[in-house]
Amino acid sequence: MQVKFWGTRGSLPVAMKADKVRGKIVQALQAARGKNLDDDQAIADFVDNDLDFSVAGTYGGASSCVEIDFGDDEFVLCDMGSGLREFGFDSLRRINEGGKKGAYSFFMSHPHWDHIMGFPFFAPAFMPTNNLKIHGGHDIEFALRRQQDNPSFPVPLDWMGAPREFHVMKDGEVLDTGAFTVKIRKQPHHGDSYGYRFEKGGKTVVYTTDAEHKLDDLDDFNAHIDFMRDADLVIFDTMYSMADAISVKEDWGHSSNIVAVDMCHQAGVKHLAMFHHEPVFDDAMILQNHTETIRYEELVRPGEDVLRISCAYDGLVIDL
Amino acid sequence: MECRKENRDGVIVLAVDGAIDHETAAAFEQAVMPSLDEAEAAGTGLVFDMSGVDYMSSVGLRVLMLAAKAAKQKSISVVVAGLQPSLAEIFQISRFDKIFTIYDSADAAVAGVRG
Repeated sequence: MQVKFWGTRGSLPVAMKADKVRGKIVQALQAARGKNLDDDQAIADFVDNDLDFSVAGTYGGASSCVEIDFGDDEFVLCDMGSGLREFGFDSLRRINEGGKKGAYSFFMSHPHWDHIMGFPFFAPAFMPTNNLKIHGGHDIEFALRRQQDNPSFPVPLDWMGAPREFHVMKDGEVLDTGAFTVKIRKQPHHGDSYGYRFEKGGKTVVYTTDAEHKLDDLDDFNAHIDFMRDADLVIFDTMYSMADAISVKEDWGHSSNIVAVDMCHQAGVKHLAMFHHEPVFDDAMILQNHTETIRYEELVRPGEDVLRISCAYDGLVIDL
Repeated sequence: MECRKENRDGVIVLAVDGAIDHETAAAFEQAVMPSLDEAEAAGTGLVFDMSGVDYMSSVGLRVLMLAAKAAKQKSISVVVAGLQPSLAEIFQISRFDKIFTIYDSADAAVAGVRG
């Protein structure tokens, strides 16, 4: 099983501007002072090994879109944020190269704009040879149709030629696709959101974004810990600091790195991927958040098992 | 986890010992709220003496946030004192250091609250 992140930003896509790029170049050159970088390999090694990810790379700016590859010939996506556009082109390349066919299954957390905005630009949806199955706890067809209706977009949904099926799932429903099983769980968010627990061959991935797990709702808290129980990978909304999440941004519908680690510890999760990054944060701030979360896990670790913590970025691939 | 309350020069000091986690958070919250009422009656504030706390997870942080919100309603101060290094890190990581004034000791905190 392989997970690839095509969009990891929350609320709104963002793009790095020239001043940030310049800042990274300056930092890299400062770090290169006195180093022997006479050949291309030495330069590549320096970039890969000696620079922080916030300098050598970027967490990206596309909104939520995560691919789960179960090793068969179909595509499975969580959400249709702006990252879906690039995925769409990549999927067509992979179909042309063989090994994949044009069958796409989507599992939608909810129809807020940042989670559906990539669909009008999803090239495979225009091709009658492909087919789409769109699952979710909401009426996703209504949301997509409205998004592409006048005056918001010039290409209505019905101009997209690939056959589409919409499947509204009930809270707690388990779907056996033949290739994997998936369970849906309603989560606390404005208008509700839904998390998904995917299982295949003894491996489990949980996609749980846009959820505000309030610590005084123990029923939800404990039920969600059970939903994440023993997962190999949990993709979790860590958009706000704990302080913000329970004060000025209370009821904004998102969680924190602190709650993520605590829940993962209690659920026996092996690997946490921090997700749905605050659009205001630049790469240095996201890296700081990641580093601090790793340190928090060390401080509160209940036993000897280490919770591995990644910070999702556009293009990250995790093999399970 | 144990909580001990005392009145020092009109300031309520709630000293906490042990771990504040999912098993003890409810008891912690039950100790905090009456202490806030006493602080309000005294017209001063509440000091959390955390020098005996060696572990706190998100549920403990939540109780502190509830105390901060209640204190604001009551127009009293709530401050924290005596954080062990690990807890000081947790306060920084959670950004609770931006919400609470933190003192090195309960004595310093009492003096600070009294002004």
